[in-house]
Amino acid sequence: MAQDSGFREGMGIALRLGVELIVATFIGVMMGYALDKFFDTRPWFLVLGVLFGGAAGSLNVYRIATASLPGDVKDPLDLQKNNKKQKDR
Amino acid sequence: MESPLHHFELHPIIHLSIGGLDLSINKAVIAMWIGMAIVFGLFMLVVRGGLSMVPGKIQSIAEISLEFIKGMVKEFIGDEGMKYFNFVGSLFFFMVCCNLIGLIPGSYTITSQLVVTGAFAICIFIMTLVIGFSKHGGHFFSILVPPGVPKLMIPFMVPIEVISMIARPISLSVRLFANMTAGHTVLAVLFGLAMSAPVWLGWLPFGFTVIINGLEMAIALIQAYIFTTLTCVYIGDVIKLH
Repeated sequence: MAQDSGFREGMGIALRLGVELIVATFIGVMMGYALDKFFDTRPWFLVLGVLFGGAAGSLNVYRIATASLPGDVKDPLDLQKNNKKQKDR
Repeated sequence: MESPLHHFELHPIIHLSIGGLDLSINKAVIAMWIGMAIVFGLFMLVVRGGLSMVPGKIQSIAEISLEFIKGMVKEFIGDEGMKYFNFVGSLFFFMVCCNLIGLIPGSYTITSQLVVTGAFAICIFIMTLVIGFSKHGGHFFSILVPPGVPKLMIPFMVPIEVISMIARPISLSVRLFANMTAGHTVLAVLFGLAMSAPVWLGWLPFGFTVIINGLEMAIALIQAYIFTTLTCVYIGDVIKLH
C-alpha cells in the first residue's frame, strides 16, 4: 500500500509540472498582449509578460519540486550535492 | 472513416428552451445525472443497509475512501480544514464517477469538456478567494508577497505572484480536460484502426485498445485525485498564508 501511494504521488507531480509551466507563461503572454492592446504600446508589455509569466511558471515548478522533497532536505540544490557526494563515495 | 473527435460532439436529445436559454438535454447532461445518481446511490446503500462494526463490502469501500480523503484534507489544509471535508469528498467522488462512466463504451465523459472542468475550477478559485478574504480581511493581500523577499524585489514578485495565482484555475481545468480528451482520442484512433484493418492485422490495434483502456482507468482515478489534492492545496494556501 505504501509503495502504491508513492506511485500515485509521483504520477500526480509528474502530470502537474508540465501544465503548470506552460499555463503560467501563457497567462503572462495573454496579460501582456491585452495591456498592449489597451495602451497601444506594442510590443513592450508583451515582452514583459513573457518574462514575468516564465518566471511565475518556473517559480511554481520550483515550489512543487521543493514541496515534494523528502523530509529533511529543504533545497533541491542540496539534494543534488548529496547525490554527487554519494556518487563520489 | 469517422473522425476520432466525432464522439466528443454533443447533440441535443430533448430540446428544451426556457426564456431564450438553451437548456436542451444531451448526452453530457445525462452522464452527469448518472454520475450523481451513482455517488448518491452508493452512499445511500451504505447507510440504508445499516452501519455495522464489522463492515461489509460496500461499507468497507465507503470507509476506506472516506478515510483516504480525510487524510488528504488533514495533510494539505490542516485540522481546521475538516469543515471543507464535505466539499472535497463530494468533489472527489463526483470526479471519479464521471471519469469512470466515460470509459463505458457509448457513454460520455463530461470531464472532456473544458466548460465543465472550467466551471469547477472557477468555482473553486472564487471559493478560495472568499475564504481568504473572510478569514484574513485586507491582510489577505500579503499572499502576493512571499516571505523573506527583499524590499527591492517586491515590485517584481507581485506581478509574478498575480500571474501564478491566475494560472491556478486554468491549469486545474486544462489538466483534467486535456488528459481526458487525449486519452479518449487515442482510444478512438486505435479502435478506428482496428475496425478498418482486416482481421489478421486488426487484432493488434484492438489489443492496444484493451491495454490503453486499463491505463485510462488509472488515469481517471489519478486525475480525480490530483484535482481534489490541488483543491485542498489551494484552500490550505489561503488559510495558512504561506
